[in-house]
Amino acid sequence: MALRNFVKMSRKIVCVGRNYTEHAKELGNPSPGEPVIFIKPTSAYLTEGCIRLPPARKEIHYETELGVVIGRGGSAIPLGEGGLHIGGYCLALDMTDRQSQTEAKQSGLPWTLAKGFDTSCPVSGLVAKEAVSNVKDLRLELLVNDKLVQSGSVSDMTFSVDYLISYVSDYMTWETGDLLLTGTPKGVGPVTHGDRLHGKLIDERNQQTLTEMRFSVE
Amino acid sequence: MSLKNFVQISRKIVCVGRNYKEHAKELGNPLPQKPVIFLKPPSSYLVEGGGNIRLPPDRTSIDHEIELGVIIENKCSSIKPSEAEDYIGGFCLALDLTDRISQQEAKRGGLPWTLAKGFDTACPVSEFIPKTSVNNAENLQLQLIVNDKLVQNGFTKDMIFNIPYIISYISDYITLDRGDLILTGTPHGVGPITHGDQLNGKLFQTETNNILTQMCFTVE
Repeated sequence: MALRNFVKMSRKIVCVGRNYTEHAKELGNPSPGEPVIFIKPTSAYLTEGCIRLPPARKEIHYETELGVVIGRGGSAIPLGEGGLHIGGYCLALDMTDRQSQTEAKQSGLPWTLAKGFDTSCPVSGLVAKEAVSNVKDLRLELLVNDKLVQSGSVSDMTFSVDYLISYVSDYMTWETGDLLLTGTPKGVGPVTHGDRLHGKLIDERNQQTLTEMRFSVE
Repeated sequence: MSLKNFVQISRKIVCVGRNYKEHAKELGNPLPQKPVIFLKPPSSYLVEGGGNIRLPPDRTSIDHEIELGVIIENKCSSIKPSEAEDYIGGFCLALDLTDRISQQEAKRGGLPWTLAKGFDTACPVSEFIPKTSVNNAENLQLQLIVNDKLVQNGFTKDMIFNIPYIISYISDYITLDRGDLILTGTPHGVGPITHGDQLNGKLFQTETNNILTQMCFTVE
């Protein structure tokens, strides 16, 4: 199956929390010594249509992220070789039930329902690896109802894409089509019914928009 | 593809924590009001003949947790407990292997359980047992023997949340797909395993003492 169908191929979506210092600060979290890793189930993918808020939940947050699609699986990948496993990129939202997540953190419980509900992983189409000459030149932007709410540079990541691919592979084997979400910059906030979200992935060297995505909240 | 190959088809493994009272107590955890739900990735599957259990980086032991697994027949979301039976394709025996040190650190720090539960080989499973071979899933006996010593011996009738409730609860948040596996919790008696240990799990139908399946794994 072609990698552009990664949504159908993926067997896991591996996410990194607190990977931008300003975002860690805005939520009152310490900056981590090691990556904070969690997974979303592939049932969370949304490629078109509406984001649906989970049952009885009020405070669902958007979090715009750079996604890395794995082109070649592997485990115990040495640092410096992560790039060999990249098949492409995408733009994504790590939709989060913030209330559920806060309760989970306070009780030491899993983040799964806070992060893994249906439609909690809207994604754009695949951006070819060759279209990105240097991942650190990428900028993520999100507009909610035409207002710019998030704008962050991938160069501000605490742990690089290469480091993350290698780190995760020490614990969990990557499979072709898997998705890595690399964290969100500051500016996260709640959405509500009827909101329109418009995300962009921009190459700052030439100001080219590599991909965009639009979703509304049911 | 046949559900016999659920390990190849699964797109997720959804697990329930603290679903046996005595197990919640032995780890000093409060009894849950709602099921505690976490995921293991399909990359954590281990089948017999597929190699040994491997400890995650920097660990000399992990904990065994023997569990009844339920395999989903058809896609379902937002279903009622009374409908759940129609969506069950079969069962298996499984181990929810856990890096207990990592899990305790995650709990203290309010962090995800993912690396504690989701490392490679953290989900050894038996063969698929078709639904028709199981008389009553609410009356099964699970046993785990480590190096010839019986360490876990539990009964599915002691589950806090039963199987239809669990399937219904999960499906309200997360659509379940054909081949997905649900692990339904472990009875008390969890403990560490280390290099060289031999694990032998068995699943019985309690009324008849019929053995439904067994599985053997070695820790590398």
